[in-house]
Amino acid sequence: MTKIFTHDDLIRYVYEETEPEENRQIELALSEDMELLEQYHELLWLRKQMDGGMMSPSEKTINTILEYSKAVNLHPVKE
Amino acid sequence: MNSQKTKLDDSQLVGQYINGNEVAFEELVNRHKSRIFTTIYMIVKDQYVAEDLMQEVFIKSIRTLKSGRYNEEGKFLPWILRIAHNLAIDKFRKNKRYPTIVMDDGNSVFETLEFAEGTFEDAQMKKDVHKSLRKLIAELPEAQKQVLIMRHYMDMSFKEISDQTGVSINTALGRMRYALINLRKKMQQYNIAYDQNFYS
Repeated sequence: MTKIFTHDDLIRYVYEETEPEENRQIELALSEDMELLEQYHELLWLRKQMDGGMMSPSEKTINTILEYSKAVNLHPVKE
Repeated sequence: MNSQKTKLDDSQLVGQYINGNEVAFEELVNRHKSRIFTTIYMIVKDQYVAEDLMQEVFIKSIRTLKSGRYNEEGKFLPWILRIAHNLAIDKFRKNKRYPTIVMDDGNSVFETLEFAEGTFEDAQMKKDVHKSLRKLIAELPEAQKQVLIMRHYMDMSFKEISDQTGVSINTALGRMRYALINLRKKMQQYNIAYDQNFYS
């Protein structure tokens, strides 16, 4: 009998926090339950949208950080 | 010349940086700048404040790494994201009584989202969707937003979120669930590209 999975289980699955045996069972459930499959696709889609919304700092900020790193010297004395 | 074809992991790069290799540090910065910056932005909601905080985060990190105070047991990304999160929360709390002004012009100058091949209109629409999505995330109830940022942008597990925030794993999961449901509803409400095949 296929185990019943909740939306929370799917969230853990989408974020790769489920165990291998759980994965197997979820994948089986996804192949049999169209509603669960729809929820899964929706979660994947949302995750993809959020990944796409990643931003980058300006080049100026990155250069300032790299220049700071080169300028500061706090290396501890090695034994 | 040391040309390495194998990609070094964060821990190896940190080790090299501590030993004086600035190129290793540059690789670390480029590898994680988007995740760190987005995490900060999601909290402070201001491009210019986020740029300043990004520098503060790295200055703090550089000083810790170069002074030999970095704990090798931890992983670099969760460590620096924790610094970013804490600094951004401090800043957000201090500035809460002032209005936050996000300049549209500033966004277009600073955002460097990577676009898939396509027309200018496609790219512009995609950019608009991502901008709207960030706005919707920023509008989520605080507890939901916190979990979503920690899980999605800071890549913390639900167990780590539970430890950090002092709630149970189930509560953290529940908040994530509501955050995602609310996001989906708002996207439908504002008609933000709610077509699953739109950008696939």
